[in-house]
Amino acid sequence: MKKIAFAVALAFAATGTLAQEKTIKIAGFGAKSGVVRGFGINSEAAMLAAADQINKAGGVMLADGSKAKFAVEFLDDRCTAEEGISVIRRIAGTDAVVAVGPTCSNVAEPLFGILQKKVDDKGDSGLQMPVFTDVAIKVGLAKISEWAFRNVPNEITMYSSLFYWLKQKHPEMKTVFGGVEEDFAHSRATWYVVMKDRATANGYTIAGETKWLLADTNFATQVREMKKANADIVAISAHPFSTCGVLKEMQRQGVKPKLLVGLTSTSTLETMQGCAKQAEGMMIPTSFAPVTKEGKSASEATAKFKGAADLHSMAAWENMFILKQVMESEKISGKKDAASVQADRRKIRDGLAKLKVTKGLLGETKRTDDREADKPYLFVQAKGGNWTVLHNPL
Amino acid sequence: MLDLLQSTSDGILFGATYALIGIGFTLVFGVMHKLNLSYAAASVGGAYCGLLVLKVFAGAPPLAVFFCAFLAGGLLGYVVYLACFHFIPISNPLATLMATVGMLLLIDEVIVHQTDGMPLNYPAMFDDVMLRAGEFTLRGDLLMVFVVSILCMAGLLALLYRTRLGLATRAVSQQTVAAQLCGIRVGQVNAMTFVVTGLLGGIAGAMIGASVGTLSPLLTTPLTVKGLIVTVIGGLGSIPGAIIAGLLVGGFESVLQQYRGVTERDLYVMLLLFVFLVFRPGGLFAPKGGRD
Amino acid sequence: MDFYFGLAQIIGVHTLIGLSAYIVLLTGQVSLAQAGFFAVGAYVAGMLTVLAGWAILPALAASSLLGALVAGAVGFPALRVKGLMLVIATLAFGEAVRLFFFNFDYQVAKGGVKLGPLGGEGFRQIRYFPENGWTTMDVMLFIWIFVVLVMAILWWFDRSRYGAVLRAVGEDELAAQSVGLNLTAVKVSAMTIGGAIAGLGGGIYAHYTTHIEHASFGILLATFALAYPILGGLGSVFGTVVAAIFVQGFLIEGLRFLGDWRNLLFGALIVLAMNVRPKGFLDAPTLQWIRRLFGGKSGAA
Repeated sequence: MKKIAFAVALAFAATGTLAQEKTIKIAGFGAKSGVVRGFGINSEAAMLAAADQINKAGGVMLADGSKAKFAVEFLDDRCTAEEGISVIRRIAGTDAVVAVGPTCSNVAEPLFGILQKKVDDKGDSGLQMPVFTDVAIKVGLAKISEWAFRNVPNEITMYSSLFYWLKQKHPEMKTVFGGVEEDFAHSRATWYVVMKDRATANGYTIAGETKWLLADTNFATQVREMKKANADIVAISAHPFSTCGVLKEMQRQGVKPKLLVGLTSTSTLETMQGCAKQAEGMMIPTSFAPVTKEGKSASEATAKFKGAADLHSMAAWENMFILKQVMESEKISGKKDAASVQADRRKIRDGLAKLKVTKGLLGETKRTDDREADKPYLFVQAKGGNWTVLHNPL
Repeated sequence: MLDLLQSTSDGILFGATYALIGIGFTLVFGVMHKLNLSYAAASVGGAYCGLLVLKVFAGAPPLAVFFCAFLAGGLLGYVVYLACFHFIPISNPLATLMATVGMLLLIDEVIVHQTDGMPLNYPAMFDDVMLRAGEFTLRGDLLMVFVVSILCMAGLLALLYRTRLGLATRAVSQQTVAAQLCGIRVGQVNAMTFVVTGLLGGIAGAMIGASVGTLSPLLTTPLTVKGLIVTVIGGLGSIPGAIIAGLLVGGFESVLQQYRGVTERDLYVMLLLFVFLVFRPGGLFAPKGGRD
Repeated sequence: MDFYFGLAQIIGVHTLIGLSAYIVLLTGQVSLAQAGFFAVGAYVAGMLTVLAGWAILPALAASSLLGALVAGAVGFPALRVKGLMLVIATLAFGEAVRLFFFNFDYQVAKGGVKLGPLGGEGFRQIRYFPENGWTTMDVMLFIWIFVVLVMAILWWFDRSRYGAVLRAVGEDELAAQSVGLNLTAVKVSAMTIGGAIAGLGGGIYAHYTTHIEHASFGILLATFALAYPILGGLGSVFGTVVAAIFVQGFLIEGLRFLGDWRNLLFGALIVLAMNVRPKGFLDAPTLQWIRRLFGGKSGAA
């Protein structure tokens, strides 16, 4: 029986007619539960759309010259640390060669923490799996591990540029008042470390700041503080739900700052669904708007997979193409045995680390030494229920 | 001084929303001596259902949305009763508690699935009305919520003390076995209690949606916690207690936020609860003594 | 394989927090404060290994001790509150602990980098395990040694007078008092032991997630802690393990293939479980059946 099987296998190998489709597995993961469910849905759609386009064009070229198709699987980590860690371990146990995710910054931190800190550190038993983040945006996370890479906008650069541009355009405006969502890692860090700092650096005086929590519903006290400060510009570092709450209270109390600046993550459909009228005129720097040909077609392709195209999901799209490029330049084997899979993962990691520039949907993206991205950006403004391009610094 | 007065009044008015939720919790506890942890979630769920009206009739007035939320709340209340209280034997308080937890998770997930987690704009009435007295302002829509809570309380008390259903409900809550012996169908009474609290919950959810202006699944957890705290401070089973406690908690947290900041605010609300538990464990209006 | 070890780690830690609620439940106290003791254990153990350079075992001993102390302190005022009011009071306490850590900053500069808890941003880089070369399997075994130890102690309690005393108080306080049992001692001791177990679990949690923040120790965790003993049944410590395996292994990981439906089924299956088995998976008749299964083999009638 064995002899016959062996002969048959040899025959197939010899003729090569066994048209077995080779696949390269990429695992996506992120939040598909809770208030952040939209992010996971969009990232998954973007990844599937990108894989579809790549596969239709032939797929990825492997080291031996053959082509393989991308197979994408998306897992839900429910935005919790334990489940995120469990998911990445599960992914590492399959033949996926890279993972794209997570959505939540509070998952990224512990997740990067269990990865091996420095490659080739034999004493470090951390997980050796390359993770290429599309969404989790809290400043400074990739430096936690040499296996972690991110393709998220650099908020420091963007807000610096925004405040500089505002200073040029409206030199008569001098003061900034900040509203910050204290209990969420990203929004909190962005006010203190990014917005406040960069506004001051560009010559603005901080007239004050007020705080609230992610799920708060009553902003009367905070908006009264805002009113008293009477600053020219109000900067809100919060997510759509509380941002809408504050904006509605501002409307009620008649607080109308000359300019309104928002948080990167708020430049999405959610804000428009929640409070389009009140958000009118809000300016946000973002790393995606469908202004280029590639951007438009990526948006359309993602929409076919039932996802919305925004700065987060389009990063996932970009990641897929970057990974294809890295896989081909590092010549991964695509073989499914454990040793080859691990070798491929290492090659992908090294390839990502080597990159100095990548192709983005707005233009060329620079990669930094601590594995972050310096993405091109533009400023969008809420107008009539949509985010329209306000200024394109490119 | 004006600041303090303004904070207090802002908080008290907002506390009307807590009061509405507290009434529902306290009623179920008072009648069935059980905790329904899914109540706040069902109220928010009812509010979401109210938005379905807008899907069918795009220009529907807010009252139509509120009414739909009212009805949906009642329906959800009945579903919660069936799922968590009807089949589980009364002698298993832990099982019903855990079942309501499961229900809470389920309702939350259904909301998230249907809306993809996105915040939804909620219609409001009088949201542009601000009563002013110089620098001092009062939100018109919150005044309406306050009036609605008083009306609900009045309606509920009328139901409990002037109708046969209310009589049966009070009988069941005092002495279940004796009530059964008198021919009162306990199962039916309990189901009706849930429907009534559900209807109330629907209104509460709608009022909260209207005063916040946006509905989000984020609302359920804080409302559950506040609702429970209000119930305890007011006295388990006391409806006027729930209202007063709701206003008290609302005012207290607003003032504390003014002076100690938002990160410590909730800590003080917890401390308020502990103070009550230590010095007045029965709450403001302690339930009449009887078999515990 | 790594994934299964990781899952076993999670099940182990969740069993610990479940057991901490279990022992308190035996005395008839429904406590939602276990997440608070868990949080205390997590921050304490984390700070000791990261900021003070302690080894893991002494750090866990300290976290367990502190969990016990805080729980003991809570145990006394808890006596004043009965029944479902205690649920709310302990919920509020747990939230208070979480809010405390939300406001807690204690950073120490180590080698140019500031380490330590930073309020809302949490406490990052608790990397004792990977830095000391522990593999996933090593950590799993480490966790389960503790789990088995705690289960053995609790199982032994059940076989001894103490267990009977605990259950007696849980069943009927008045009757227990009338046979001379000191309610205060029993209830507070149970709460303290529960706090010790939770503190231990929390210390381990901090190290296997490497990053902790206030939001991880919220109401959901407190509810899970209670869910394990209630779902599993109060008849035996094994009930809690079974429930932890059911929730983490089956509902969360096992149902992953259902994609989006998994989350919906989570709540629905809990409701179903409570309707079908109100006394838990391992309720009295099931336990008897299991005992007969094992007893029958050894020939006992």
